[in-house]
Amino acid sequence: MLFFQQLRGELHKLYARPRSWMGYGAFLIMEALILFVYKLDGSQRHMRGLMERNGLEFGTYYSSLTITLTIMLISMFLLGSIFFALVAGDIVAKESEDGNLRMVFARPVSRLRLLLVKYAAVSIYTLSFTFFVGISSYVMAVLALGRDGGLFVMAAHMKVIAAYPDWWEGASRLLVAAAGLGVSMLTLSSLAFMFSCFKIKPAAATIMTLTFLFVDLVLQGFPFFKPYESYFITWRMSAWVFFLEHHRSWPKLFKAYTFLIGLDVALFTAGWAAFRARDFKT
Amino acid sequence: MLEARGLCKSFSGKPALDHFSFKVQRGEIYGLLGHNGAGKSTALGIILGMVTPNAGDVTIGGVSVRKDRAHALAKTGAIFEAPAFYDYLSGWNNLRILMSYSGGFDAAAARTIVERVGLTQRIHSKVRTYSHGMRQRLALAQALLPEPEVLLLDEPTDGLDPAGIKWFRDFILQLRRERGMTVLFNSHLLAEVELMCDRVAILRDGKRVFEGAVGGLHDEAPLFDVDFEPWDGVVPLLHTLGGALVAPGRISLPPAADPAALVELLVRSGIRVRKLAPVRRSLEDLYMDIHNGGTGDQRT
Repeated sequence: MLFFQQLRGELHKLYARPRSWMGYGAFLIMEALILFVYKLDGSQRHMRGLMERNGLEFGTYYSSLTITLTIMLISMFLLGSIFFALVAGDIVAKESEDGNLRMVFARPVSRLRLLLVKYAAVSIYTLSFTFFVGISSYVMAVLALGRDGGLFVMAAHMKVIAAYPDWWEGASRLLVAAAGLGVSMLTLSSLAFMFSCFKIKPAAATIMTLTFLFVDLVLQGFPFFKPYESYFITWRMSAWVFFLEHHRSWPKLFKAYTFLIGLDVALFTAGWAAFRARDFKT
Repeated sequence: MLEARGLCKSFSGKPALDHFSFKVQRGEIYGLLGHNGAGKSTALGIILGMVTPNAGDVTIGGVSVRKDRAHALAKTGAIFEAPAFYDYLSGWNNLRILMSYSGGFDAAAARTIVERVGLTQRIHSKVRTYSHGMRQRLALAQALLPEPEVLLLDEPTDGLDPAGIKWFRDFILQLRRERGMTVLFNSHLLAEVELMCDRVAILRDGKRVFEGAVGGLHDEAPLFDVDFEPWDGVVPLLHTLGGALVAPGRISLPPAADPAALVELLVRSGIRVRKLAPVRRSLEDLYMDIHNGGTGDQRT
């Protein structure tokens, strides 16, 4: 299958570049730091208070699963977005800037096919990175706290509070939520990918993506935007925590992910339209 | 084999190509000459479908690039000045990736081509460690791997040392002999173009201002630098043979005229012939003449 041969080549290029690994290193360092802080008395007192105010036993829920979720909740949006924007913002714009695209365009490949291959590579990177963060957080948390314990979920901004005392149920919920987070983060990568298709510098694609994301996030935080929060992309991207609700609302999840996937398709199409109209010349 | 018809292209309202047409026959090496900004790279970009023309079209093997780019480029290879490879990958992996966009990578064919271009020893080294000459050899390998019938060369010998230039030229000429390959050669190195090309077109401000056979430059230029004494009466004698005084100290004769007959005629008329030397007209003379506003005809 030629598509997979091309995808293999794209992934080879992607993972052969040091900047693709920067995120992995940064997250490992950050996870170690978070775990260190979580072991401090002050942090434990805070967590104990939080759980006990919700009628939960600290010993059951102060666990590797809870810490893994906390890391994913806090860090993926703020730190993960930087790396996704960096990698996806580079994928077309950098090759255009370096002149590699001309070498590819001397081949009998359509622009649409080329973008599809690159988008598939970015998607794989985004999803695999999300799972890496989940798995590495969990492994480090297990090393620090042990395997046992339930899952305590508190995502106040999305009005989701839940607790799963059973490890197996908590872990399975977390796994599904991680997949949902990966799909959510794909929207961010799609945004950077779209900018990357325009005739701009790779750094500009990254900066524009992050600017868009943070403006969306900031506006969403304004009190008078509260009634309209569901119109914000970052709010929709947070829909993955709905997988952790006790009573999962499938229509709500379907609506959120239909919106996100539709947005991904629209962003890809906009990028392709811009890319298709471009002239590539020495 | 390769035909461009009425190519027009403007960038931000500034014309880069203005109704440019040419036709390259199978097995022919066609040179494209012009100053920087004359439109050569734009023409190449249009041929490869990287640049969309405002008007006109290119066909390769009878297939329109605009209508069916993938099919038209299936048997085309291209080499650019300073080819941009993925420096952080080996030459071999670059070939693998580029060939995945040309119908798939054939390791055995790649090994043969790599050996032929003399890169076997270094093909698994990272491209960032390659010299300019090695990059050009890799560029040649990637262009030849799809077994092209048409080869597009955009300033391929720029930056190469004389030995590298000669090696490249001999290689291309050998390919033409062996495979009857059609080559479009875009270069600033006029001497190289003269040595390699069968025909050339010269572009100025996006317009074709000359097209002709390189061999014909010598055949069609029976010009002579002369010194006679006295000069009175020379011109009427020249006219009797169909010749003319084209500039002070330079005459032309019809292609069939024998210069010895002119000497005999002049001597019989009491005119001393101090000098009669044929002018060898190079492509550079032609090029400079055209760019100085001439027509390429040194008689004017």
